[in-house]
Amino acid sequence: MNINMLLVTVGMVLATFVTRAAMLLVGQRFKLSPHLEAGLRFAPVCALAVLIVPEVVVQEGAVNVSLTNPRLAAALAATAFLLWKRSMVGCIAVGLFVVTAFRFF
Amino acid sequence: MRASLPATPGVIAWGLVTGVAMVKSGLAVHWAIVISLLVYAGSAQLATLPLIVAGQPFWIISLAAFVTNLRFVIYSASLRRWFEAYSLRRRPVLGYFTGDFTFAMFMQRVTREGEFAYRDAWFLGACGWNWLVWQVTSIVGILAATAIPSEWGLQFAGTLALLALAVPLCLEWPGLAGAAVAAPIAVLARGLPFGLGLFAGIVAGIAAAVAVDHAITRRKATVRQEGDELS
Repeated sequence: MNINMLLVTVGMVLATFVTRAAMLLVGQRFKLSPHLEAGLRFAPVCALAVLIVPEVVVQEGAVNVSLTNPRLAAALAATAFLLWKRSMVGCIAVGLFVVTAFRFF
Repeated sequence: MRASLPATPGVIAWGLVTGVAMVKSGLAVHWAIVISLLVYAGSAQLATLPLIVAGQPFWIISLAAFVTNLRFVIYSASLRRWFEAYSLRRRPVLGYFTGDFTFAMFMQRVTREGEFAYRDAWFLGACGWNWLVWQVTSIVGILAATAIPSEWGLQFAGTLALLALAVPLCLEWPGLAGAAVAAPIAVLARGLPFGLGLFAGIVAGIAAAVAVDHAITRRKATVRQEGDELS
């Protein structure tokens, strides 16, 4: 039994549940202030940024922001494709293709 | 249930990618299945993968999952008006199964028709269908991943899926400002213990996004005022 993974699972279930159900349970009594609502609105994009960008620009422990970094090249190509075609599946496919291409050439 | 059909191809792709990425990042198959069945939050599942792999303590991982899920606080704040009539036992169930797409569909219908009858059943039907498709495809992904060689680099698919989620949010100035401030901090401070770099980045990013949002709202208000004075 892996205790840490068990705690991770319980913690993530709570995070899912609390964010989705708390406001429904308290009803209309509790109002979100405009500032708090703005903060909540922009929190996910900030969280995604801090989780994605290090995965992309850090290569074997060091920052590499040149196009010799396969993941960076792949992320840029995937972003361009997403903005162009608005296709999530296409975005993932393009990114994986670029990473794979780097491995072969 | 039929209302949620347009989203189904997306849910299938997203579920497969999440399943494959979980296993290819090094999660044991049985834990991947347990997390998939219980957690039911695709973006949080993918977002926490690098933290789980890096062996971060569970409370940091939970906190990261919490922050990625914060958009649902806003969703459920807009939903509560329509679900207030239902019992305290029913409401958390409706909340737990909320997804990005079902929320959008529900809000569309409710703004069009108001408090239509059996809206809880309609909502649960749409959410239930998404839940089922999601679970089946992510478990297929988890099992298929064991047969795929790691050299294919499919764990990167999870990062790309998150990217596909983040890019549309950066098309607005506040979101872009938040990401542009948050990401470099996280990269530079990545060596700090307890994921402090991540949280410093998130907090600074939110502050930047709120400041930009505030500045835009204020400028719009002044422009409108000047327009009024001219007319």
